[in-house]
Amino acid sequence: METGIRILLLTALLAALPGCASVRDWYQQRAERRAAAQAQSAPPPVSEPSQDENAPPRVIEPEVARRKIKVPRIRSSNVEMGLDYGVLSIEDFGTHPVYGLTAAYHITEDFFFQAEAGRSRGGRTSFETLSGNIQLLTESERRFTYYDLSLGYNFLPGEAFLGRGIAMTNAFYLIGGIGGTDFAGDTKFTVNFGAGYRLVPADWLALHVTVQDRVFQSSLLGATKLTNNLEARIGTTVFF
Amino acid sequence: MTARLRQAALASLVLLGLLLTPAVSGAREYLQLFVAQPYLELHTGPGRGYPVFHVVPRDASVDVLFRRTDWFKVRTEHGVEGWASQRDMLQMVLADGSPFRFSVGDRAGFNSHRYEMGLFAGAYGGANYVSGYASLSFNSQLALEAALGQFLGRFSNGVTGDVGLTHVIVPEARWSPFLTLGVGEVHIEPKATLVQATNRTEQTAYVGGGVRYYLTRRIFVRGEYKAHYVFTKRNQNQEADEWKLGFAFFY
Repeated sequence: METGIRILLLTALLAALPGCASVRDWYQQRAERRAAAQAQSAPPPVSEPSQDENAPPRVIEPEVARRKIKVPRIRSSNVEMGLDYGVLSIEDFGTHPVYGLTAAYHITEDFFFQAEAGRSRGGRTSFETLSGNIQLLTESERRFTYYDLSLGYNFLPGEAFLGRGIAMTNAFYLIGGIGGTDFAGDTKFTVNFGAGYRLVPADWLALHVTVQDRVFQSSLLGATKLTNNLEARIGTTVFF
Repeated sequence: MTARLRQAALASLVLLGLLLTPAVSGAREYLQLFVAQPYLELHTGPGRGYPVFHVVPRDASVDVLFRRTDWFKVRTEHGVEGWASQRDMLQMVLADGSPFRFSVGDRAGFNSHRYEMGLFAGAYGGANYVSGYASLSFNSQLALEAALGQFLGRFSNGVTGDVGLTHVIVPEARWSPFLTLGVGEVHIEPKATLVQATNRTEQTAYVGGGVRYYLTRRIFVRGEYKAHYVFTKRNQNQEADEWKLGFAFFY
């Protein structure tokens, strides 16, 4: 019953919201309408032809057709997408290859948003290796999948030179964000931070080297602890 | 297995490169602009620190190749390519002498814009929460918003999806409050150690509010509270509070 009333109230509020948007401009619109009405009722201003004797008579009426300019859309190239590959050290589970996808949106020359997803595999813990046949995790639980949403800051933009003729823009960047990690049968809230280097050999292409730490809480081996999972990757991205 | 994946990754990378090359090098129609100020400075890169290596004199023209953030890559009549700043480009004119105007990321854009995107950290029903949203504005006050989130807690994990309307009360204020209202779904996966651990998907409705604070250029901070009503299939409906804070940008 209570929920029913809530839904009713919510619906009423929802219906009222779009109305509020127009209320704001009422006064302004009314003022504009009044001004328009006044302008109509007022006698049109009579333009007195210049009776000045000294003025030279106009012989030619210039008939210049104003050229219409078609403005083509300027392409925006702020989105960067690509693939990367590297190594991930999963705490207690060894170091293994990792591969992933990256998408970034450059908001200003300094800041960018980045979304990442990657996958790796955890190996055997030293406990499993020493104790013989004990398996802490099944094969599917050893799959390490992460995603994150991060904010990046281009820390030291500059130029790199290859010989005399080639100059490429580059930047060190700091990156940090949050996301989730699916490992050992559970998805953990994960904080990531790190730094990277971006080299831009062409306007549409960039090469990356990134080192990031992915930190999440794990109680897999008894006590609950923060695990640090360091990752180093190289990647290629394309600007769109 | 790993070797195969490695090969697949490499192959897709090469394929991606091949696919994109013709698109990038394809011929396009560019906008021609004329220098109305004494000269136009061309930088070697799209950033304030990159040195000026070339100047284009008054009345000469440039082709605008593309734009990256607040910088424009232009090509002069002699084929010199360089980056011009947004501030300099605002002084350029079109072929008919009218000023060149484009969308500038500033306070006016914050007050009234078309698209918004952002990412948040927060709490959903006591669990950690990662969320992102995108919105489409109808006018400076009313926007349609879609948000996706994942909550990761001690007792359950889950995913939320919301669609709703947002009403910005005073869009021109730097601290700008807003109200939001909508519906959604939540998918809950209780942790296996608890009894009755079955995954379930429920309908939700929410009402909430928050505040936006304009930082600089296209970036603003957004903090938000949503009260979710989860319509369960059991006798009692549930409520879940969502708090979040994050960065967003408009376009």
